Parts: sequence; structure tokens; C-alpha cells
Amino acid sequence: MKKVFALMLALVMLLSVVACGSKTTETTTPKTETKTETKTETKTETKTETKTEAKVYKVAMICDSSISDGGWGAACYNAMIDAAKINGWETAYSDMIDQSAYYDTIVSYCDLGYDLIYAPGNQYSDAVLQAAEEYPEIAFALLNGAATTPEKAKNKNVTSLLPNAKQIGWIAGALAGLMTESGTIAFIGGMELDTTKAKYAGYAEAAAYVGEKAGKTVKTLDIVYSNSFSASDKGIEFAKAFIDQGADVFFGDASAVDSGARQAIDEANKAAGAVKIFDIAQPSDILGQNECIICSQVTDNSSLVSLSMQAVMNGTFGGEVIYGTLQNGALSAGRISDLVPAEIQTQYKAYLDEMVADTFMK
Amino acid sequence: MDMSFVTNLILASVRMATPLIFVSLAELYSQRAGLTNIGLEGLATIGSLVGFMVSLLTGSPVLGVLAGMLAGILVNMIFAYATISLCAEQIVYGMAINIFAPALAAFIYRVYFGSGSDLVQVKLMSTLAATLGITPNNFFTKLLLDQTAMVYLAYALVVFTAIYFNRTKSGLNYKAVGEYPKAAATLGIDVIKTKYIASIICGALAGMGGAYLTTCYTTTYVDGNVAGRGFIALAAVIFGRWSAGGVLLACLFFGFCDALQIRLQVASFGLPYQFFQMIPYVATVLVLALIGMKKAGPKSCGKPYRKEER
Repeated sequence: MKKVFALMLALVMLLSVVACGSKTTETTTPKTETKTETKTETKTETKTETKTEAKVYKVAMICDSSISDGGWGAACYNAMIDAAKINGWETAYSDMIDQSAYYDTIVSYCDLGYDLIYAPGNQYSDAVLQAAEEYPEIAFALLNGAATTPEKAKNKNVTSLLPNAKQIGWIAGALAGLMTESGTIAFIGGMELDTTKAKYAGYAEAAAYVGEKAGKTVKTLDIVYSNSFSASDKGIEFAKAFIDQGADVFFGDASAVDSGARQAIDEANKAAGAVKIFDIAQPSDILGQNECIICSQVTDNSSLVSLSMQAVMNGTFGGEVIYGTLQNGALSAGRISDLVPAEIQTQYKAYLDEMVADTFMK
Repeated sequence: MDMSFVTNLILASVRMATPLIFVSLAELYSQRAGLTNIGLEGLATIGSLVGFMVSLLTGSPVLGVLAGMLAGILVNMIFAYATISLCAEQIVYGMAINIFAPALAAFIYRVYFGSGSDLVQVKLMSTLAATLGITPNNFFTKLLLDQTAMVYLAYALVVFTAIYFNRTKSGLNYKAVGEYPKAAATLGIDVIKTKYIASIICGALAGMGGAYLTTCYTTTYVDGNVAGRGFIALAAVIFGRWSAGGVLLACLFFGFCDALQIRLQVASFGLPYQFFQMIPYVATVLVLALIGMKKAGPKSCGKPYRKEER
């Protein structure tokens, strides 16, 4: 009897290990869309007509945060899904993976014959470059990768999708500068990434500039790092500490940590009996998710991923940097809450126009 | 640094220490019966998810906590059966729980919520102040009244545990099982039964600690939200020299260090943030060096109990 139980326990443990490694979920895109896109493809690639009709392209995303975090992970996942629908690709993902598993997870997808590996974050650069060297036939799209990363790939099979982090900071900072009453604003970072630091710098300088124009001094408190993208409790504690320092507008780059911060802001507003502390979300438009959100900085990552997919299908992928900017429409501001007075909304839109025209702060 | 910095730091320490207290007490009950259970991280994770889901489905955080307890007990029964009845290696099975339970939680979350990317949020348990209709407007009302029932329960459990282990016959019998089970058996104590009871208590408390996170602390469940608390709890038990009071102090110390590094980062002293982030680790090393590393735990910890063995 004991042996039977021991065997059962061993089986349960074995299944648990399998479950650990099977966070990947595969979704098939609607057949109708696949057909439509395949037709489009055959028009442009007449030489490989039969091949493109038979080929079902596959993309896999790896992510160290959760795709259900209401922030970065969710936006990046949605970007892949949207791009896959447009281009008729199959998708898979692995989220919540540890740093030690970046490379192994990427290689697993490479071995499964995926055409494109989508890694949304600068932190995956080393793992992507290593895998790209070993799998020359597979394409790697690194969202927020450095501009120099593609040229480091020996096989020219890495592309950096690079939303302009400084402009992202500007979009949030301009509104923060207009909305702050205390003159103190805050930023919560997940990890010390170049893109996070650039967002913070843009946020601080835009807020200071806009504040000065409005006749007030706006101070951005020093950036803090949670060292995690999933510790929403840290977000709560950071937000409470910032509120104690007088911060009344928040922006962040820390995934679920930002969600925790919004919870603390909502609680503080509830205790005060009015919404006086605000949050600007990113990178997708989540206005309404929390009461404190007044706007979102929106990054259309799907257009960047879609360009990568088309390059793979056209056989032109690799070795380039695809920039996402306000000018090409990849970056924008989302819907604005009614909590933002009409006058400020008008001023903010004017600043956004200046950013698009490249005359902001000039 | 003004007074509000200190008072807010104390409040943050209490918030951050509470889940640790539950999980550390879980380990204390387990080790006092001779079971070194390093699977606390997994038990808290499953408790966190089940607590979140039940709270979401029923709208009752209290039911969520109860369900989290139950989930912790069920998962810990794997550990209990393997280590008590089959006399398997405790460390190995504890680690297996740490792999199995988070994977199971991630699997259940994906099955139930699908691959969608929407942020699911639940209503948190009310604080005593909110229930009584009191607005906490000073430090003492915030500290004493602006807390959920779980916080009071955590401290009550510490007091109960201290009395139980030191002032009751049943508690002394329980401790005897962890010290010298064969001698305990000769006195008529049912060692196997005590170990199973210890596992039930351990699972329940660890599950509660996890459920606290999603029913009283954060409105969301995210994979990895236990964030190493299961391992910190192991350290807290050693730190607290296997006593309820010591465990409480250790948890408050860890909570304080974490809250301090967050507050100091925000206070912007112009120092690199890494300097503040290392505070909890440096403090742990220093305190361990000061209190000494001499083992003071139950003598039979980690050793299988075979009734027929001489």
C-alpha cells in the first residue's frame, strides 16, 4: 500500500514539474484572418506562393512579469496577440520566468520551430544574443533593446523595437507637471534598466518645464526600484512613502508594482474624501481600471511587433532598429479622465502637438 | 527625519510583518514536532491564490482566508504523508512542495481566468476602524484600530502559542515529540498523531499567511506575490530561537528592515538605491552574528520517526 502511495506522490511531483514548465499557452488565430493575410502575402511574394500558403508562422513571447499584471506584461502580451491576428500567426508565451531561465526558455521555443522570439525588455538582451548566435534561422525581436544590440548579433537575426523612452517620459511628465498641486511628483521603477532611467529623465524634465511655464516649481523625487515586477505589496509601500513625502502625481515602469501603487493611491484618496492624488499608467490605455488614473501613456507595441512579423514573412528580418515615436504614431497619450480640468486638457494637448512637431522644450 | 517618518515606518513594519508572522508560526509548529518544512513558500502561494479566488467568487475575504487555510492543509498533507508515514527526507519533500504548489497555483489561475491580460481585483477585508465607523487620524488609532481582523489574529496566535508551548501539558507533550520522539512515545504520547496535527496547523497557518496577502493587503493576485516570505519565515524561526516571542520579534525585525529600505529610498538621501536595498541582508548577518549560530532547535528536526526502530 505504501509503495502505491509513494508512486502516486512521485507522479504528483512529476506532474508539478511538468506544470512548472508548461506555462506556455498556445492560441490559434482565427482561420478567416489567417486566410486573408495569406492571400495578401501571396500577392507580394509570387515566387514562394505555394510555400507561404502552407506555412503557419509562429511567435513566442517570454516575460519575467505576469501577462495579467494590468501593466507592462499585459500590454506586451496584447501587442503580440494583436499583431498575430493581423498577420495570421500562432502565438505562445511564457510569463513569470526567472532571470536564470531566460535563455533556456528562448531555446525551448527555438527547438520547437518558432519563427520569431519576442522578448519585451532590455533585460533579455544577453539571452537573446546568445540564442541568436546558436539559431541563425530564427528571428528575435527585442522590445526596448538597445540601439546597438542588433549589430552585436553575428547572424543579423536580431531586431530592436525601440519606443522612444524619453518621449514616453515626456508624455507622462507634461501631464504630471500640469496636474500637480503640491509640486512634488514620483516615479517607481521595477529594475534599473536604461529604458527605465530614460523614462524617468523624460518625465522629470517635462514636468519641470511644463510646471515652470505654468508658474510653479515641480520637483520629481528620486527614482526608486522595487527590484521586482510582481511585488505589488512593494508598490503599496512605495506609494504610501511617496504620499508621505507630498507626491501627488505618480508614474511608473514596474508592472504589477504599479498596480499596488495605484491601490495605495486610491486608498489615500478615499481617506481624504476626494481624488487629489493621481496616477498616469503605461504602456496601454487602462483608464477606469483605478479611480486615480487620469491618463495613460500608450505605446503601440503591436505595430512594432507586426513590422517584425512582416519582415520575417518577407525574408528581410534582422539587423535593424525599428523606432517607435510620437512622430510615427507608435507613442501617444490615451484617453484623459474627467478629473483633468478642461483647461489643463487643452494645454496638455497643445504640449503633445509640440512633441509631435519636435518643438517641445525648444 | 521627522516624527511622521518614524510613525509611518512603524505602521509599514506592522503591515509587512503580519504575513510573515503567520508563515513563521506555521514553521514553528512544524519544527516543534520535529518536522522541518521548507515548503512554506509553496503553501503560502496556494493559500494566496485560493484565498483570492474564493474572495472573488463569494465577495467574502473571510471565506477567502478559510479557503486559503484549507488549501494549505491539503497541500501540506502530501508533505505529511511522505515524511511521517513514509519517513521520506523532509528537505526534499519541502522543496518538492515549493515546486509543486506555485506551479499548481499558476495552472489553476490560467485555467480559471484564461490567458487574458485583464487585471482582476477583489475587495479587501475591512479594518476595525472602518467597521466601527472611526476615522483613524493619529498614530495610535492607525496602529491599534486601522488593522484587519487578521492582524489581531496574528498577534493573538503569538500569545496563544507562547502559553501553549510553555504553560500547558499538551504543549509540553507536543514539544517532547520534537525533542525526543521515542521518549515521548514511552510516555504514551502518540507521536505520529502529533506530527500529523503539526502538519495540519502548519498548512493552515501558511495558507492563512498567503491568503492574507490577497484578502487584506493587495487587491490582486500575481504569480510570485509571496516573494520569498516562506524562506524568510524559516530564518525568522531560527532567529527567534524557536519561541513564539522570538519569532514575533524576528518578523517585526524583518518587516522593519524592509519598510526602512523602502522609506529611505523614497526619502532621497542622494545615496545609491542599492545601499538601502542591502539593509535587510546586512542587518540579518549582523544580528545572526550577535545572537550566535548555536543550534537551539528541536533535536529531532529533520529526522524521520520509525516506531519500531531502536
